[in-house]
Amino acid sequence: MNRSLPYLFLLCLVAAMLATGCAGPQKTETARDTGPPEAVAEAGHGTYEGEIVGISERARTISIMVGRGEDARRMMVKYDADTQGINTVAQGYAAVLTYETRGADLYATAVSPRLARLPEGVSEIKTAELEELIFSGEPLFLADSRPPARYAQSHLPGAHSLPVPLLNEKQGEVLPEDKDIPLVFYCGGVT
Amino acid sequence: MSPASAGLAKKLGYTDVRVYLEGEPVWLEAFLPTYSSEEFILHGNVVLVDMRPRNQVIEGRIQGAYSVPFATLENALGDLARNAPIVLYGEDEYQEEEAIFILRAEGFRNVSLVRGGYQGWLKNDGAIESGPIFATEITWVRQLGRGEVSVADFRRAASGEDTSAIIIDARTREEVAELGTFRHTINMPLDEIPSRMDELPRDKTLYVHCATGARADMAYSELVNNGFDVKFLLLDIQDAECDCEIIRPEEQVI
Repeated sequence: MNRSLPYLFLLCLVAAMLATGCAGPQKTETARDTGPPEAVAEAGHGTYEGEIVGISERARTISIMVGRGEDARRMMVKYDADTQGINTVAQGYAAVLTYETRGADLYATAVSPRLARLPEGVSEIKTAELEELIFSGEPLFLADSRPPARYAQSHLPGAHSLPVPLLNEKQGEVLPEDKDIPLVFYCGGVT
Repeated sequence: MSPASAGLAKKLGYTDVRVYLEGEPVWLEAFLPTYSSEEFILHGNVVLVDMRPRNQVIEGRIQGAYSVPFATLENALGDLARNAPIVLYGEDEYQEEEAIFILRAEGFRNVSLVRGGYQGWLKNDGAIESGPIFATEITWVRQLGRGEVSVADFRRAASGEDTSAIIIDARTREEVAELGTFRHTINMPLDEIPSRMDELPRDKTLYVHCATGARADMAYSELVNNGFDVKFLLLDIQDAECDCEIIRPEEQVI
């Protein structure tokens, strides 16, 4: 892992908010906002904002999904050794990418994760501490916020399946009675 | 999704609420164990592997399990599809953790365990079977997603039997020079596709492949957006399942 801790922290947040739509209206630029690639090429540079849907190190190429709904389009952008922040983004997470045109190709000049914040009063737990907590056998309610199918395939030891829509509907009914028991929520990014 | 849920729990009055932002992907990278649910083990498109000694497996096993004794696991890796969800259980936790380590280190992406092993399964009244094991060959067929070509169709294009399709190899020139390529294949590295796609035939179905499927998927989207009739192969081409003849790039005749 060469990503720094704060980045991961923010990445999952962004992913979380994208997936639930809880971040409110996204400021994603639509294809209409940026215009078709041909028009952009004349301008020489621009910005794409959206989910990274593919990164190939071998081909030095990033695919980013811009726009929403009917306007959603996958844009392929090359990168090189001068591209800033390539290690700070990952497939399945939202990012902001600035690019320039070189000949017929688009090149990323910089890319960074789109930022967000944790809810008030909620803190982060890291892998090592969670591992210790799970295997200590001490009281813990571990909740998997992903869709049930993802939970069924592979979940952390002792985790309960608690998809976001279920919790939103049932609220406290699907949480433990004891309000002082440690609760840990996790997800798996937007994959 | 998890931070939103954590925020809700906090509002409901829970005092100790945290979010594991690194999530399942980082947990897996740390070689820590994950588990599959009963429904998925019995009815999902999985490869279920019993690593206990053969005599115990004959006595009783989880319904649908293959027998691969732990001692033979490393030799059996070639028989396992790399993108299949693999669910394991063995003699004890240590063996299961070691097996997880071996498989994930070998590049198997979806490896998980049965909670509590065979004893845990029995305790939960899970479905079992017993008696001799007839299925010695491990089979797994991927359920195709949107835009995916089946290995069988891909093979027909590679052999020249199906002339209505042609293969696009999206790997780099260096990879092709080193590892060779299939017959009836155009080598066009992923990053060159946007600027060179005019060279690709519009009267044939294009089957894109790369090394593991990641670049093929990206190339597929790019070509679909540009009106090509295209599918992609989501397969690690090291898998024996592919079984297509490999030639030197200079021998290529389209």
